[in-house]
Amino acid sequence: MRCAVWCAAAVVLLSSARLQAHEIGTTRVAVVLQQRSSYEIEIVTDAAALVEKLEALTGQPPQSEPLPRGAAISQAQLHAYDEVFRRRVVVAFDETAVQSAIDYKVSGVTAATSPPVATIRMRGSVPEGARRLAWTYSWTFATYSLTVRKDGEETTEWLEGGQTSPPILLELPNRPLSRTAIALRYLALGFTHIVPKGLDHMLFVLGIFLLSRRFRQVLAQVSAFTIAHSITLALSIYGVVSVSPNIVEPLIAVSIAYIAVENIFMCELRPWRLALVFGFGLLHGMGFAGALKELGLPRSEFVTALVTFNFGVEAGQLAVICAAFLLVGWYCGNRPWYRRLVVVPASAMIACTAVYWTLERLRL
Amino acid sequence: MKIIRLIVAALVLTAAPLAAHDMWIEPTSFLGDIGKIIGLRLRVGQDFLGDPLPRDTALIDQFISIDSTGRKPVYGRDGADPAGLIHVAEPGLLIIGYQSHPKPIVLPANTFNQYLREEGLDAITELRARRNQTNSDAREIFSRCAKSLVYYGTPTAAQGDQAVGFTLELVAEKNPYTLRAGQDLPLRLTYQGRPLPATLVVAMNRANPTAKMTARTDKTGHVTFRLQQEGIWLTKVVHMVPAPAGTNADWASFWASLTFELKSSGTGAAAK
Repeated sequence: MRCAVWCAAAVVLLSSARLQAHEIGTTRVAVVLQQRSSYEIEIVTDAAALVEKLEALTGQPPQSEPLPRGAAISQAQLHAYDEVFRRRVVVAFDETAVQSAIDYKVSGVTAATSPPVATIRMRGSVPEGARRLAWTYSWTFATYSLTVRKDGEETTEWLEGGQTSPPILLELPNRPLSRTAIALRYLALGFTHIVPKGLDHMLFVLGIFLLSRRFRQVLAQVSAFTIAHSITLALSIYGVVSVSPNIVEPLIAVSIAYIAVENIFMCELRPWRLALVFGFGLLHGMGFAGALKELGLPRSEFVTALVTFNFGVEAGQLAVICAAFLLVGWYCGNRPWYRRLVVVPASAMIACTAVYWTLERLRL
Repeated sequence: MKIIRLIVAALVLTAAPLAAHDMWIEPTSFLGDIGKIIGLRLRVGQDFLGDPLPRDTALIDQFISIDSTGRKPVYGRDGADPAGLIHVAEPGLLIIGYQSHPKPIVLPANTFNQYLREEGLDAITELRARRNQTNSDAREIFSRCAKSLVYYGTPTAAQGDQAVGFTLELVAEKNPYTLRAGQDLPLRLTYQGRPLPATLVVAMNRANPTAKMTARTDKTGHVTFRLQQEGIWLTKVVHMVPAPAGTNADWASFWASLTFELKSSGTGAAAK
């Protein structure tokens, strides 16, 4: 009779834990979501306190004295209470409780006053399409920490025993993108790499534009630049060419400065300018490759992504030239003061900026 | 047997959950020995089913021991369980005391009302009703005032418990280690050093914690329990007052406890 009453009382007591915020105890819980397909929950808690509660809930008379610190609490002892332990632990996906595989381990006692520690691991699969995980642990009266690790991030919050955690959101696994979606994505990435993110590339293209009043001359230079950067972009991505960004980035800044200075001292396009722009295009292509490597390329659509990124870069450059033509070239490109008031001051500003970048990238 | 199972099932299914948890000190041993190191575990829970609380320096107001040589701080490593360690150096009664700083909590109205009922805090229930607060959430600050008595040597009536100066305090007016099962233990309850009357005190034995004894203190703050059983005993009491201004709380509660062991006469420990 006494056991029965004790058992009932234990259930009542343990069910009450959620109602009162208390001091922080020694229990720690960690939830690890792996690839959103499986979960592992690790509970680290005082083994003696847990065994006492398990015994109480099964109607065993309580110990007249606390379990001695050196008491051998074996894994087998915890395993024997497996069914009881599960009653007060809930892992639920979208409000549906799931059954977990459970391992019990008890650490050895290192000193007479150090308590044995139970490490309980619960494992299972995340049901297909599940969106939320909720966790409830009712084997402690104290406040405990719940740490959730997913997507390389870790968050911790404090819960009361018996309290259900706020929903842990599970995003659905990413569906593979279609070829069109990849093409559009990398086209946009290539464009934004120039406008607005690539100020250095924009200034280089403006430098090309400023010296050439004729559309054909601009087209020739831009084409030479495009062909060149396409070559090194592809070669770098495939690993055929590999030059350190510590070399490439300062040289890109030098190329901008050179173009701008030449704009100041040369009035007409010289034949070697095309070759020079081609050479600088090779440099810029290696710069684009570095950016593209950081963005990452999908294995399944490697060529699609590479080609569309390049098109995006090209579209960005053409957008810069069109904007410059509409702003200044169209109206004042043939004015006598165009070179004195537009080309030279703008080129000087570009040159100063590029020299500054050169020094900055050389960490001087 | 079937009837008992039915009773148990009914209790489990219909019992209202308890709203408050006790805190007590559980030494790794209540019997000292010269040179022995005793771990002092702080426990939070109900009816001797508790969870260990690691040492939290930020929460400790006082953590002390008093023996025949005087009062000393109890040392320990922050975050460690047991929260404190003491070295038994002198024979006699060793008084362990832990008082926490107030800790804030907000409880929903139903939970708070239930907790007041369970702890016999009728005066607060009436006060809330008069203030039309019965259906309001309660902002509370709670403090722990736990004591434990550890003994070494031949107990004498002269070696008794003493007030250590906690805000709410249970003081054993007889040395429990001089008592046998079936004898009375008189206790004195004080709040801010003055006797606290008409307050519910609970006593329970670790081997049978559901068989609680309850009594209210008299006008002089005294209450007496007949300890029918050997083993580890917990006596506890909760007192609540309106929270002082500036605490950002409505109520301040104090949770006092006293743990000790009543030895069997066979061990010789209970001889006067």
